[in-house]
Amino acid sequence: MTTSPFDSTLERREAATLGMWAFLATEVLFFGPLFFGYVHGRLASPDAFVAGSHHMHIVLGTLNTAILMTSSLTMALGVRAARTGSGSLKTMLTLTALLGLTFLGVKGSEYWMEAKEVANASGAELQFYFLYFAMTGLHALHMTIGLGVIAWLWRHARGFGRHYHAPVEVSGLYWHFVDIVWVFLYPMFYLLERYSA
Amino acid sequence: MSTPSPNGWGYLGEGYTLRSWLTTHDHKRIAILYMVAITAFFFLGGAAAALMRLELATPAGDVVSATTYNKLFTIHGVIMVWFFLIPSIPSVLGNFLVPLMIGARDMAFPRLNLASWYFYVVGGLFTLGALVAGGVDTGWTFYTPYSTRFSDTNVLLVLVGVFIVGFSSILTGLNIVVTVHKLRAPGLTWFRLPLFIWANYATSLILLLATPVLAMTLTLVALERLFKVGIFDPALGGDPLLFQHLFWFYSHPAVYIMILPAMGVASEIIPCFARRTVFGYRFMAYAILGIASIGFLVWGHHMFVSGQSMYAGMVFSLLSFLVAIPSAIKVFNWTATLYKGSIYFSAPMLYALGFVGLFTIGGLTGLFLASLALDVHLTDTYFVIAHFHYIMVGGSVMAYLGAIHFWWPKISGRMYPETMGRIAALTIFFGFNLTFFPQYLLGWLGMPRRYHEYPPELQVLNLFSSAGAAVLAIGYLLPLLYLGWSLFFGRRAPDNPWQATGLEWQTSSPPPQHNFEQQPRVERGPYDYQPVR
Amino acid sequence: MSYVLTWLGLMILLALTFASSYLPMGAWNTVANTGISCAKALLIALFFMHLRNAGALLRIVALAGLLWLTLLFGLSWTDFGTRTLSPAPWSSR
Repeated sequence: MTTSPFDSTLERREAATLGMWAFLATEVLFFGPLFFGYVHGRLASPDAFVAGSHHMHIVLGTLNTAILMTSSLTMALGVRAARTGSGSLKTMLTLTALLGLTFLGVKGSEYWMEAKEVANASGAELQFYFLYFAMTGLHALHMTIGLGVIAWLWRHARGFGRHYHAPVEVSGLYWHFVDIVWVFLYPMFYLLERYSA
Repeated sequence: MSTPSPNGWGYLGEGYTLRSWLTTHDHKRIAILYMVAITAFFFLGGAAAALMRLELATPAGDVVSATTYNKLFTIHGVIMVWFFLIPSIPSVLGNFLVPLMIGARDMAFPRLNLASWYFYVVGGLFTLGALVAGGVDTGWTFYTPYSTRFSDTNVLLVLVGVFIVGFSSILTGLNIVVTVHKLRAPGLTWFRLPLFIWANYATSLILLLATPVLAMTLTLVALERLFKVGIFDPALGGDPLLFQHLFWFYSHPAVYIMILPAMGVASEIIPCFARRTVFGYRFMAYAILGIASIGFLVWGHHMFVSGQSMYAGMVFSLLSFLVAIPSAIKVFNWTATLYKGSIYFSAPMLYALGFVGLFTIGGLTGLFLASLALDVHLTDTYFVIAHFHYIMVGGSVMAYLGAIHFWWPKISGRMYPETMGRIAALTIFFGFNLTFFPQYLLGWLGMPRRYHEYPPELQVLNLFSSAGAAVLAIGYLLPLLYLGWSLFFGRRAPDNPWQATGLEWQTSSPPPQHNFEQQPRVERGPYDYQPVR
Repeated sequence: MSYVLTWLGLMILLALTFASSYLPMGAWNTVANTGISCAKALLIALFFMHLRNAGALLRIVALAGLLWLTLLFGLSWTDFGTRTLSPAPWSSR
């Protein structure tokens, strides 16, 4: 019933890519105030933040970072598979999803262990934990949405190929962005003065 | 150039059921969905204002209690800012006109466009829910720690409502940016674009970059209210100025979201009814971008007396003076456009000229407020209220109404009654000045804002203001009535009743569903007018 | 292939940031970690997100969010950086 406003698939794909990048810019500004709150809090109470960071599970956090970055690799390979029609799209999507789920599982177990610490915290250390839960929680929410998108792509994987792959490309952009956010969160929460832990 | 569609009513004739409207992907129908919704909210916000002016007609706080009065100005602000002004021109006229003006069949993402309207409606429902549940008394600015700790009203509901309507803003902005980049007709280079497009494009950049910050800030207020975390509340180790910096980082650019599209409208109407090309087109376009950019650098001028550092105050004061420059360039250029023109005082022209004058006054008083020393005296008084109402109402609302009248034939296929249009425009202009000019004087005399009572010696000015509000109310009701009338009894509109330039006038009134029978090619710049000799 | 190389680079940077956090460098730890995070982000953006082959428009959009965040941080710093925070005695800091 609706005619596409575009004259070609290429035009449509370019528009979709521009749209996704613009959306990612809004996401940067959505996470921004939280980063701002972190900088503000850390400058005001550096010791409390260090104390909070020492309660983080550095091995799990580092492992998770590796897992997430690997999922970015598999996602990028998936996007390439969609572009070239090579046939490994579904495999790559599955791997990405599995890595993503593993990440969330590890995160969940960390939350479980940290909940007790938080209950006893107060003052600026509580602020650290709040920022930790808020920022990693928001990140996890974005990842969950990303997993939903991947599931959708998986279901429609047969429809993508050289002629039409914009949805896979823009979903890839989204997934990589979520990875980039984590890349910044990791040192902010896990790596404060590790040498004195 | 345009063949009328089968039943002669273009996109309006493509389906008469409610379902065809609620599931449409057509940007023109979505624009009308927005128009209906924002009109409803405008009158609701106006009702709150009417009650406030009723209270303020006498010095004693005898009509409503102080708490109720707080709830009134809060809901007035929340509704007028987020549910009327911000969506008004971009989501109604932007949605309708952007594809038409650039020769496209629709916006880049029609389904996201429809989704943006639903986000608006859901956000509106949450806000109405807060109203029904007893209202909110924090002011539209949600200052902490009152909003996070002390207010026992339905703050969370409003926060959710505003958060959701923020998605509407972001999606609209996204659509406009991508559409303008990717769907321009062949030959339509950036510097051949109508200034309305430049204005809505710049506005969309602000919508994209500022709104997410508000969304997160309001989320943090909600989280602090729920979990007593301690980000903004000093008693819990938080910093109220952190809230203010984050809030105003969005809310100052938000006022540019409200005025830039209005400037775009003025740049369409004035050349048409002066029969002259706009003076200094490139400067007008650069000024739009300048206002949008510098507008992001001035937010601290809302915080001069908040405890902010004096040095920050000086920086923000200087930057606030700077933003007046591109605004002034625009005012000079509109005025110069009139020189040696053949001026026709149609209703849209009356609105546009009123816009230029009232915006100038409002803008100049902004310079008063940007001066640190003066602001210490004037902040939180009626001077501030008069300043922003001159710009928001004298500026944006007048431009919105001017736009609705100017493009009414294109949107509805009907002409509105011209005499009624002029009477309404003049009534509004008169009522507006009677309402808000006395408020400058009241502010100078020290009357604080957000108070429901005041010393008796200020009553005369307050009475003028309340009387003006009554006139203004009549003025706003008139278009509602005669525009509605015109839908059934108005003269059938030709393709180009104003002999205006612009691609939207090259297609039928109303346009067919896909806007153009053939994709237009553009060979000339905009505003190709010749004055009548 | 460039994807796998990028991944390798990311892993090396991760090892670097993890290891360097055990070296007592004071404020420089933060500088190093932030720098490494930026490097990782750049690798992901340029190679995984194809910014390396993208036109000027996409690159500008990609930078816009960061630039605006810088405005928020920078201009707020004119306030927070030029006064001492004096919490009230009853504030729990």
